[in-house]
Amino acid sequence: MDANPAVVTLRFNKFLPYWAVFQTDLKQTVRSWVYRLWVIMTVFASGGFLLYRVGLHQEAGIVQSAAVQCGDLFRIMVMGSLALVVVLAVSAVGAERGTLADSILSRGISRHQYFLAKWHARLVVVIATFTTLAVGVMIAGYFLFKSDAESDLSLVGGFAAVLAVGAVLAVIVSCGVVIGAMTHGTVLGITVFWLLLYGVGFLLTLMPEPWPSPDRELARLKFVLRGQFNEMFVVNLVAISVVLCAVAGSLGLMGFSKSDV
Amino acid sequence: MAGDNVELIVETQHLTKIYQNRQIALNDVSLTIEPGCVLGLLGPNGAGKTTFLRLILGLHRPTAGWAKVFGKEMHPNAADLRRRIGYIPTNPQFPKGMTPITYLDYIARLFGLPSDIRKPKLATLIRAVDLLAHSGDSLSHFTPGMTARLAVAASLINEPDLLIWDEPTHGLDIEARRSMLELIKRLAADKTLILSSHNLSDVDEVCNHTCVLNKGQLIFHGSLQDLKGRIRKNHYELDLDGEQKAITKAVGVLRGLKDFTQVLLRHRRLDVKLGEETPNASLLAQMFQVLADHKVTLITVRSVGMQTEQAYLDLVEKEEQRGFARLYATAEAA
Repeated sequence: MDANPAVVTLRFNKFLPYWAVFQTDLKQTVRSWVYRLWVIMTVFASGGFLLYRVGLHQEAGIVQSAAVQCGDLFRIMVMGSLALVVVLAVSAVGAERGTLADSILSRGISRHQYFLAKWHARLVVVIATFTTLAVGVMIAGYFLFKSDAESDLSLVGGFAAVLAVGAVLAVIVSCGVVIGAMTHGTVLGITVFWLLLYGVGFLLTLMPEPWPSPDRELARLKFVLRGQFNEMFVVNLVAISVVLCAVAGSLGLMGFSKSDV
Repeated sequence: MAGDNVELIVETQHLTKIYQNRQIALNDVSLTIEPGCVLGLLGPNGAGKTTFLRLILGLHRPTAGWAKVFGKEMHPNAADLRRRIGYIPTNPQFPKGMTPITYLDYIARLFGLPSDIRKPKLATLIRAVDLLAHSGDSLSHFTPGMTARLAVAASLINEPDLLIWDEPTHGLDIEARRSMLELIKRLAADKTLILSSHNLSDVDEVCNHTCVLNKGQLIFHGSLQDLKGRIRKNHYELDLDGEQKAITKAVGVLRGLKDFTQVLLRHRRLDVKLGEETPNASLLAQMFQVLADHKVTLITVRSVGMQTEQAYLDLVEKEEQRGFARLYATAEAA
């Protein structure tokens, strides 16, 4: 009796390549020195800042509310993180150009899936890390300045502040990933984006009140943390951020699927 | 090369790639590759071999022309086509912090293989490429031989119909190179292969078709026999035995024959070059008759030089010499 060999037909899961790149990128980003530097710097800077303010509060008797302390810390965190967040975002696709991209993009994954997975992974890492750090800062602020905090820090305000900063960071990450995908070198991409970001930021600080200056907006965080904010402003900010991210992502998808790797 | 009703594995038409309007990497390449073909892609450095492979894989977009794989046009988002291809780049690089198991699992997931298929498959492949003892080691500590074996495993994990291997024996020691060539021969039984190589003896051993690129231009595409048939160097070496006096006498007779352009005797080794006008078989028959008449024993006879290598070098040299004639006689060259 002839025993015909069984014909094995491979089954494919269409979304598995996306998840593979997404999960791998999450793991690799968290293990990267840029990410570790960002977290360590933020933790040490925040800890030092809080201890300094506690010292002033207790020894010199200079009383400042928890919302003011946390607002100041948020501002330092955002400004300090920006440079490293840019590196993380631009390097997402840019750093894998060449041979490494060869061995990934030559497999059964489309450019669209690859770009989306990289973009989403970096968004998740940056926003989740910032949220964790910000929540840590607020909890520390609450306990260290408890006497003032009970009547000062608001839960809704804290949520709104994290949401607002997260929305801005999401736009920065999205633009960074797109620039990394479109430029032919990571260093070039990072330089271009730094110049763009700090240049636009500087120009906006020179503009009068209706213009959203980063300094002014960040200075307002202490009021947001107290719960004194316009809900529509936060909703609009998030909506604008979603639109900008979508536009950046679409441009990145189109550009990356037409570029050589 | 393409016959009727044959589903072509690869087909390119006027495939051209110009980088940033500065460098012409590939110029008007049209060719077809049939199922079961083992194609050796030859050419000097910078000939456009890797560019050609990258265009076929959809890693690069053509400036002009098109490349079809399995009858469909290849483009960067053609994941379904790449699912049927196994690729090894020249210098395979792996993501940091991975082991062979995690790397092959990652590659299998990139092909969309579900867990119940990919786990047994990667275990089988790790065993097959002899990396079982190193399956938990970090890839950063791998030797070039181990790296090459892992790259082979990665290129086979999706059971591809087409294998594209860019210089698979590059940097391998003799033993590893030999097992790579044996593997290629075994795979050639049921897969189509495109091998880019600088090593002509590798191509000679495993390929049945060749394609020669020079400065981005396709200067030859056909069977290996066709390539070898393009030259008739008619240069032979013979090791002889017998009395020295008889050998010297026979050599004297051979020198007097027509179309024996060079007859040199060094100790007992005879170096003979034949002319192009008379068929070499009849000249060789004459030579053997002379040796027999003088009671000289023939120990070995061999054709001098690697035929494929010689044919390849001749092709490239002729192409270089054509100058402006290339404009009007490209069809003749191919």
